[in-house]
Amino acid sequence: MNLTRRQTLASLAAFAGSGLMPSLTFAQDAGTFRIGALNPITGAGGPYGTGMQKMIAAAAEVVNAAGGAAGRMFEVFAEDTQTQPQAAVLAAKKLIEVNKVQAVLGTWSSGVSLAVLPLTSEANIPLFHCSGAPALSVAPANEKKLGYRYQATNDRFGRAFAEIATKEGFKRPATMAFNNASGIGNTEGFEKAWKAKGGEIVASVVYEPAQPSYRAELQKILDAKPDVIVMGSYIADTTIILREWYQTGEENKFIMPAWAGNPELVKALGPDVVEGIISVDSISNEGSPAFAAFDAAYQSAVGQPGLTNVYAAMTWDMVTVLALAMEAAGPGADMAAINAKIREVANPDGKQVSSFAEGKEALKSGPINYEGASSVLDFDEFGDVTPDFAASFIRSGEIKREYVVTL
Amino acid sequence: MDAYLIAIAIISGIYLLLALGLNLQFGLTGLINFGHVGFFCVGAYTSAILSTNGVPVALSLLAAALVGMLAAWPLGVISIRLREDYFAIASLGFSEIVRLVATSEGWLTNGVQGIAGIPRIFSSVTGQSQAIAMLASVTVCCVLAILAMRRIVRSPFGRMIEAIRDNEEAVKSLGKDPAGFKMQVLLLGSMLAGLSGALYAHYIGYISPDQFIPFITFQIWMAIIMGGVGRISGTVAGVIILMLFLEGSRFLRDLAPFIPEVAMASIRLGAIGLALMLFTIYRPQGLMGDYTKR
Amino acid sequence: MTGFAELLLSGVMSGLIIGLAGLAVTLVFGIARFSNAATGDTMTLGAYGALLGTTLTGSLIVGGLVGLLAGALAAVLSYVLVFRQLANRSPISSLLASIGLAFFIRAGLGLAFGHNQSVFQLDIVRPIRFLGLRIQPNDLKFAAIALVTLVIVFILLHMTPIGRRMRAVADNPLLARVSGIAPRPVMFTLWSMAGAVSAIAGIILGMKTVVSPEMGWDMLLPAFAAAVLGGIGHPVGAIVGGLVIGVAQELATPFVGFTYKIAVSFIVLLLVLLVRPRGMFGRVEGVR
Repeated sequence: MNLTRRQTLASLAAFAGSGLMPSLTFAQDAGTFRIGALNPITGAGGPYGTGMQKMIAAAAEVVNAAGGAAGRMFEVFAEDTQTQPQAAVLAAKKLIEVNKVQAVLGTWSSGVSLAVLPLTSEANIPLFHCSGAPALSVAPANEKKLGYRYQATNDRFGRAFAEIATKEGFKRPATMAFNNASGIGNTEGFEKAWKAKGGEIVASVVYEPAQPSYRAELQKILDAKPDVIVMGSYIADTTIILREWYQTGEENKFIMPAWAGNPELVKALGPDVVEGIISVDSISNEGSPAFAAFDAAYQSAVGQPGLTNVYAAMTWDMVTVLALAMEAAGPGADMAAINAKIREVANPDGKQVSSFAEGKEALKSGPINYEGASSVLDFDEFGDVTPDFAASFIRSGEIKREYVVTL
Repeated sequence: MDAYLIAIAIISGIYLLLALGLNLQFGLTGLINFGHVGFFCVGAYTSAILSTNGVPVALSLLAAALVGMLAAWPLGVISIRLREDYFAIASLGFSEIVRLVATSEGWLTNGVQGIAGIPRIFSSVTGQSQAIAMLASVTVCCVLAILAMRRIVRSPFGRMIEAIRDNEEAVKSLGKDPAGFKMQVLLLGSMLAGLSGALYAHYIGYISPDQFIPFITFQIWMAIIMGGVGRISGTVAGVIILMLFLEGSRFLRDLAPFIPEVAMASIRLGAIGLALMLFTIYRPQGLMGDYTKR
Repeated sequence: MTGFAELLLSGVMSGLIIGLAGLAVTLVFGIARFSNAATGDTMTLGAYGALLGTTLTGSLIVGGLVGLLAGALAAVLSYVLVFRQLANRSPISSLLASIGLAFFIRAGLGLAFGHNQSVFQLDIVRPIRFLGLRIQPNDLKFAAIALVTLVIVFILLHMTPIGRRMRAVADNPLLARVSGIAPRPVMFTLWSMAGAVSAIAGIILGMKTVVSPEMGWDMLLPAFAAAVLGGIGHPVGAIVGGLVIGVAQELATPFVGFTYKIAVSFIVLLLVLLVRPRGMFGRVEGVR
């Protein structure tokens, strides 16, 4: 056995030692620009990840077909985060070090983005993500300001809930939140905005997932006689809670994010239970030409309407914004120069453009403002966007958008 | 390529520390600890909280090991005398309680938002040398732990805990109290888990309660079962297999493009399950082990 | 007062599901002598079986029977393929293998049915009011099914020849073998019973909540706690243990909140074990 142990340790040493060997640096091909698609292919983000990844590839093809960004062709390397921080860290390391990517696009869950952002920042490359956690806006996570958020923060979702609750004339809201950063972020954002308007919250509950019943949680809420329950929830727990709520015979309304109040919920519970639910989503920039282009690409790559995957619209925009910033920075620009141009090409006062080719042309004559597929895409000082929100009502089993809320 | 390998080596080292602790508890003493991730979690949070509040990393690492060890004490007091599978359930419950505390006590742990911006080890150096410094620290910890394990195995203490594993009744009849030895083993293993957790926190830089799920414990179990229970070489081999397996599935996509990507998570889980079953049935001594008493 | 009663009621309902899962754990433990971690995923399998059966035939009852059969079959198969091979080894081997089996079943279900939730299409009705209490007709049915299950298990164990043999094996396997009790029929009956009971627990859980590959694994800890609490190997004890845990969790919520209520089951468990290491109903010889 000694021999085996020695062999094992020797191979371990070789394994560790191989990491210490001087790196085999590849000559960077000036003609290409490598981007990493780091998406949640498996795990909780699975329903969105594949579409996100395909849209990064599709948008990169569009850029390449238009002659590349500042003459450089995009080359995409894809990895799966498994929606887990630990796996994502290794995947990001592989993308940055093995594939030598110069930008990482499309992380989804907040936990993953928070774990990956320090790595990309350290490598001085940008991370474009779709996570909601407020911590991603500021130092220490975003100290170098290389993180850009294409999704609304959970906080903004909460503010949109408050706007809608005011507009609908609710007086006694209660909140229920799934116990994670996103769920609590939604309801806390709501509570802050609602109290700022002088309102009061009659009851609030944070619940754990995977319970056989949520009656006790519901009962605490219902005892306070709310006229509306604001949810920071997901589909499975919402299904159970709504079923039990209906069985109590109460008549209050619900406001919930669209990833919970979706057609699957209607299918699971039937039209009677879900009647009148207000489902809120940040909206893709649907009327825009950028969205039409994305929608066509999504249809052909995934076979579903682009509206079903708002995150895929975000990854589409990520590639386009990156390409436009590179174009604006000019040939051979380094990452710092490109980073400096991101707000310039996305935020107002320039000529409004909705595709890379159009923007490339317009850049020759002056500043541009890319209006994206996922939103008008204007980054604030923290690299966050403020998309518009839609309030959709479920009536007779149909989810219909009734109005748009602009924060 | 090198930095990716360094990253894998660092994570392997972190897992190795966990596995060494578990091997001491289960492999040598027969203590079925299904709550290992709880002490990993305690260590990670201890070091993260201290170091983000200005305590030097070297001190916070030590504190993490200590607090990880202390956290095991109440579990031991309550349940070390229970029958072995009762202890298994009690420890699993304990690790869930730890996770719930990390989730709920926001004043201390920042709750579900997690703790971001945990300082690196040797924060003065950056980039590649930072990673190498990290790898060096992890390696030093692993080597020390392995040396300590070897000392323990050869000491009278080591012979005693192996005797407890093999025949607890006989140990009792010699007038020795197995519970006391089991307690020491539980504390030692948890200390390693705490240290491992701290290294993890400083490496990843961000921790949140949902990273500390029982699945981590079972991954470590798979590693020691496959490598060979009760042998240090087996533990090392098991961790290497585990990492090859976890990271290898990344490259499986290139080899087997017919597998839909969404199926990968299930396939990974199923393969872990299958390996656990096949090893317990056909090779209970693991790859490196040679004793067949179990 | 009604608030208290409603908490109690909801605790009883959760407790019955936990108790049924605990019953499956305890049955296997009593005879095969290890804690079967695959119980939770056998529940999930049963729920998916019932879902599939219901979709194919349109009848909830036929679907339920399909689920029952799927659970029983899976349990017997797991005995033949895995646990029989480990029968002469330490219970730890079986426990570890059962964790592997649990992962394997969950992975298979994930591959077959995907990770999106499915639901049983039950009629959702307004509650019956009884003394100010809101009682769900469906809950009454679920409770009835749980009790009938317990009664059948009890009759099988105590009033049939095979049951007598099973209890003989449970008491003293060696003596049973010497007295000429063939182990195979006993084990097959045991595993099909345990599988069917798990499936029932899974189907009820699936009807009350949603069906997903992870649902059973999430119930495993409370189920273990219920089995240990009731005195492992003791069928009635498992159900009572489940009820105690379910009720304790719900009644504790006004004091400890909703996050820590999961911890309540372990704390109850640890307290009981401290005072009475063999559980509430456990026999002395069951424990070292």
